[in-house]
Amino acid sequence: MQKKLLEIKDLTIKFHTDDGVVEAVNKVNLTVHEGETLGIVGETGAGKTTTALGIMGLVDCPPGRIEGGSILLDDRDILRLNEEEYRKLRGKDISMIFQDPMTALNPVFTVVDQIAEVIANHQQLGEKEAEKKAIEMLELVRIPAERAYEYPHQFSGGMKQRVVIAIALACNPRLLIADEPTTALDVTIQAQVLELMKDLKTRSKTSMMLITHDLGVVSEICDQVAIMYAGEIVESGSLEDIFENPLHPYTNGLFGSIPDIDKEVEFLSPIEGLVPDPSDLPKGCKFHPRCKYAQHLCSIEEPVFQETSPGHYAKCFVYEGKLPVKEVKKYE
Amino acid sequence: MAQIDVTLAPARRKKSKKRSLWADAWLRLRKNKSAVAGMIMLATILIVIYSSPLYLDYDNDVIKPDLTHTLQFPAEGKLLGTDELGRDVLARILWGGRISIGIGVLSMLLSSIIGCTLGAISGYYGGKTDGIIMRSLDVFMAIPSLLLMITLVSVMKPTITNLIIALAIGSVPSVSRMVRAQVLYIKGQEFVEAIRAQGASDFRIIVMHILPNAISPLISQFVMEIAGLILAISGLSFIGLGVQPPDPEWGAMLSSGREHIRDVWHVTAFPGIALVLTVVALTLVGDGLRDALDPRMKR
Repeated sequence: MQKKLLEIKDLTIKFHTDDGVVEAVNKVNLTVHEGETLGIVGETGAGKTTTALGIMGLVDCPPGRIEGGSILLDDRDILRLNEEEYRKLRGKDISMIFQDPMTALNPVFTVVDQIAEVIANHQQLGEKEAEKKAIEMLELVRIPAERAYEYPHQFSGGMKQRVVIAIALACNPRLLIADEPTTALDVTIQAQVLELMKDLKTRSKTSMMLITHDLGVVSEICDQVAIMYAGEIVESGSLEDIFENPLHPYTNGLFGSIPDIDKEVEFLSPIEGLVPDPSDLPKGCKFHPRCKYAQHLCSIEEPVFQETSPGHYAKCFVYEGKLPVKEVKKYE
Repeated sequence: MAQIDVTLAPARRKKSKKRSLWADAWLRLRKNKSAVAGMIMLATILIVIYSSPLYLDYDNDVIKPDLTHTLQFPAEGKLLGTDELGRDVLARILWGGRISIGIGVLSMLLSSIIGCTLGAISGYYGGKTDGIIMRSLDVFMAIPSLLLMITLVSVMKPTITNLIIALAIGSVPSVSRMVRAQVLYIKGQEFVEAIRAQGASDFRIIVMHILPNAISPLISQFVMEIAGLILAISGLSFIGLGVQPPDPEWGAMLSSGREHIRDVWHVTAFPGIALVLTVVALTLVGDGLRDALDPRMKR
């Protein structure tokens, strides 16, 4: 068994807004082992980004607040750190790639300056050395050194995302959180960026947490997968577990809404309904209003997140034997 | 056999050299014709005015009344004529410009330093900090700035240092409001969060990342504000709280010439023209600087 790098226990994040309390993340449990890639999959508004910002300690406060739980990095609870210690952790031990590369770079500085800044900030290097290392990082992400002194607006989207990756990896972080790193890019560039991330990750032995709503991306680079719905993890397991043997009705619904090249179907079968409003979550199982196996029990009691086979967890009454359903099938 | 040498020039990329933000801005500024015109005007004005002690004698040329030659028209002896006390208008314009422009620039510098600090802090931290800073500046804003300056100068002594301080304080509220608005806009952009995720301190984020983005659109405003401040000094001089006679100052010259404007136009016209030329030059340079400091404008 590999060493645990990051362990999140019962993380709860709420936003106290004027319109009520928004329960963005509810008792999330996650573990990332060293060198492993964990994919977090979920619809828009499922709380994926909030979880990531929670780990970075960047939840806007107020209105957001981490209400409970702990985040252990190397068995050290980082939520107890003071602001200054947390700041030193960011960029060095944990770093993050943001969704939109178009806006993630400062428009008035050259790209090399922006990479050199992180390096100088965390590694006590002189300006010259930091710059030299920054150019090495650029070449590592396959941007020619000649272009180092250009401004972000002179770069294409894919190149900008590669610069962002270079910044994130500049200090050899232990954990890299990638928040939908390919969503804003077109498909050919997506493949390049994913390939690059995979390559750099194995080279530097960084663990990665990949947030996405694209199951195709997950199947490319993840080892472990967690499915998130309405601020909760509803199913988690290894890549094979989730892809070969999805348990939770929501996971099955997700797979049902992907077009399959081998099958000829007239219509896709999406999950009916909408993600619940996080300020007004349904009682019981959060998924029951949209679940086709739902019974009365689902709207009263909340299922337990339990292990069904080694390493494979699901949160559904079917696996507690409380529902008269033999098997949850892919939505068709 | 004929050998055809086909050495294609290797596709060579234009090598981008390392240039600082300011060196870059300078290159772009040079390409802007109106900015260059403004810079030449401003340079000429500054050189002529600031070298005036080399060719003018304060006691003899600038403040010595000559009551036998009062209110002479231009070219009757002096190039730009004489004022109501027979003093050479040209000499007084040159000498007075040192005070007008000097005070204008220094007080703008002072107020932009204070204004940027306050505006950046209140925009970045928001909440209570923002409330306290902006509400106290609102108190200043409630008083018309000229009245505020009058109050400040009359409480302190009307020396040049106090004048600079008063003018600076008078324009701090508007400067910090402009900076705050820019900071609020930039703070919301994703790159600020990305930089925070890289572990940069608040100080670093404000000084290294937000202010450079915030200031370039404001530079031209700042430069034009200098023109406004020069006019404000004139206002103060007019009611006797600005530069004290017999020292020349453009505003004071304008107001003293007002009494004679029906008979002799040149006493007011020339200081006015000097003021207009300076303001135009400053505005052109300011506009050029704004464009030059924005790397996205690079061609």
